[in-house]
Amino acid sequence: MPASLESSTKLPDSAFALVRATRAFGTTRAVDDVSLDFARGHTSTLIGTSGSGKSTLLRMLIGLEWPTAGEVRCDGEPLRREDVLEVRRRVGYVIQDGGLFPHLSVLGNLMLLPRHLGWKPSRIRERAGELAALAHIREELFGRFPTELSGGQRQRVALMRALMLDPPTLLLDEPLGALDPLVRHGLQDELREIFRSLGKTVIMVTHDLAEAAFFSDRLILMRRGRVLQDGSLEDFRRHPADPFVREFLAAQRTLPGAA
Amino acid sequence: MSRCLAMLAFAALAVLVPLRAAHSTETVVIGSKNFTESVVLGEVARLAAKEHGVEVEHRRGLGGTRILWRALLGGDIDAYPEYTGTLVHELLHDVPPDAGIPLLRERLKQLGIGITASLGFNDTYAIGMREDEARRLHIRGISDLAGHPDLQLAFSNEFMNRADGWPGLKAAYHLPMGARGMDHDLAYRALASGAVDAIDLYSTDAEIAYYHLRVLKDDLHYFPRYEAVYLYRLDLEQRAPNFAAVLNRLEGSIDAQRMRAMNKAVKIDGKSETSVAANFLGVEAEPGSDGGFWPRMARYTAQHLALVGISLTLAIVLAVPLGVLAARRRRLGQIVIGLTGILQTVPSLALFVFMIPLFGIGAKPAIAALFLYSLLPIVRNTHAGLTGIQPSLLESAAALGLPPRVRLWRVELPLALRSILAGVKIAAVINVGTATLGALIGAGGYGQPILTGIRLDSIPLIMEGAVPAALLALVMQGVFELIERALTPRGLRLRAMS
Repeated sequence: MPASLESSTKLPDSAFALVRATRAFGTTRAVDDVSLDFARGHTSTLIGTSGSGKSTLLRMLIGLEWPTAGEVRCDGEPLRREDVLEVRRRVGYVIQDGGLFPHLSVLGNLMLLPRHLGWKPSRIRERAGELAALAHIREELFGRFPTELSGGQRQRVALMRALMLDPPTLLLDEPLGALDPLVRHGLQDELREIFRSLGKTVIMVTHDLAEAAFFSDRLILMRRGRVLQDGSLEDFRRHPADPFVREFLAAQRTLPGAA
Repeated sequence: MSRCLAMLAFAALAVLVPLRAAHSTETVVIGSKNFTESVVLGEVARLAAKEHGVEVEHRRGLGGTRILWRALLGGDIDAYPEYTGTLVHELLHDVPPDAGIPLLRERLKQLGIGITASLGFNDTYAIGMREDEARRLHIRGISDLAGHPDLQLAFSNEFMNRADGWPGLKAAYHLPMGARGMDHDLAYRALASGAVDAIDLYSTDAEIAYYHLRVLKDDLHYFPRYEAVYLYRLDLEQRAPNFAAVLNRLEGSIDAQRMRAMNKAVKIDGKSETSVAANFLGVEAEPGSDGGFWPRMARYTAQHLALVGISLTLAIVLAVPLGVLAARRRRLGQIVIGLTGILQTVPSLALFVFMIPLFGIGAKPAIAALFLYSLLPIVRNTHAGLTGIQPSLLESAAALGLPPRVRLWRVELPLALRSILAGVKIAAVINVGTATLGALIGAGGYGQPILTGIRLDSIPLIMEGAVPAALLALVMQGVFELIERALTPRGLRLRAMS
């Protein structure tokens, strides 16, 4: 078990929180008066249709968007602009297409931040090697460029890049959204294993209810910038807080005859 | 960022401006305009001065009247041959049209400029036609032109625009036809080939006899007198009293026929201005000093490369940060791109001339003008390269926790590099062509043989400048493609292929 888990258990419970946070773009409120608390060491999933504000909410946590009202808290402290680089380095962030830099090789992508922070090349190599084992990336691929990788490999490398500094928190914005179903299925298993073994705080965005339920006990359903319901899949089924919750559940298609 | 830019701009100016002050006050410099007679008169003055022990540098064949006049006022040259009519109608605005040399001398004195007496000939404008054509149409005087509105007129650009040129002539003679601008030396060929029917010419032009032209009678005495004189800075009387004396001693020594003969010796017979001037003065012409084709070509190439290289380097140093700034601040970006766009619309010759009051004549104003021309492609491509980066990549870089400066250097500029280099390449290739105009303001380079070639109607001379200029443009293109290939990260080349 990595050291980060042992140390993180001693810190306050809340990794990130939003307090009546709003993010307006002109007259539309992408995130509208949301209060949420993300507990340390847990996996939570933000779900909802596209445009529901779930990605904006995620991006607010590391200052990629700033609240127009209310506040974001990190480790119980209000997020301030001067701290934002520091906060981002304690967070691994992975987006749908991986966001790998096309002009850098796999290793170049992995090295970018550690090298800026003055890590020795040997230390960077060592860390990259550990993560390669974890993410099932062969080290022969280190010299490849993102365009030379498969979609699944790109996401694995993106995850490795996010984990280089061993951050206590991972933010994942539709990390598997661009993958074909087989690759996606395999990676879901692997990712859940990785999250469990590392004991990270994970906040994931997905529009796929099955994926959300697979990864976490806590689902947060958003619609039009607001949180409609926050709870387990079981809660959603038994006590839908809104007719839309039932609609959303019903919209998840099952295979004919599988029910 | 903007303070950084201000410093860069200041540094660019600081490189250029002191060069202006560095002009040696010791050497005496005579200039001449870009036509044979002016260059011959410049050589006459230089050789005559040499006979009297004064070493004079002759910057031959600079652009038009404005360039010489500004250079004289600014002290970049000390003297040049001019015509009284030009002074009356173009340069001094408060003198009566019939002003004689004494009045001009009085007015010029206030500007610190001296004027000699007439050198002995009146090189006035005239209108010429082919003799056979004029006979066929029974045209003897300019007033006869009014009866032939379908005649094609082509005039030198200066004549087209000056108050005492075409506009006044058209009004005075009630001429119904239009006219187009054409280089004076090209106009002769157009006339000879029948492409045009009448052109402006100077009464001492060598070609009048060569092309069998009829000089139309100025029935209304419209054209003013253009007595040839030397203008010189009055401070020469202290700095180089002998030179001022030499200039004044040349008065009355050249009549129109003599001048026409000298012009013909250069333009038609292919003699050098120096030998013609030496022959006139009865002195030994110094041996040709340009050392043959290859040394001459090496000199032009070195000058041309210096013009292009220095201006391009300065432009990159300023334009890339400007492009970055433009990409960061949208409003400011539009202003920056708009301003550099306006610079681009200034006709290139005009931009060269505008630089003279700031930088004098020679390489510096040319470099300044080329620098300004190079800004737009580089600023625009830097801006386009940066704003064209996928937002998700910018966000990934930010989310990693990299500070903005590192994001710029490690992510944004590498991703924009191809576009930036393409902009630099465009600027370089345009620069190679535009730099040929530098010869008009004394900057040398491949424009020098082109300009002289046009003046002397010599295709081989024109080629001597035009061919290497074209080759250099191709080489530039190739070099930048190699640089682009070397600098573009492999990952981006792969993407371009797939």
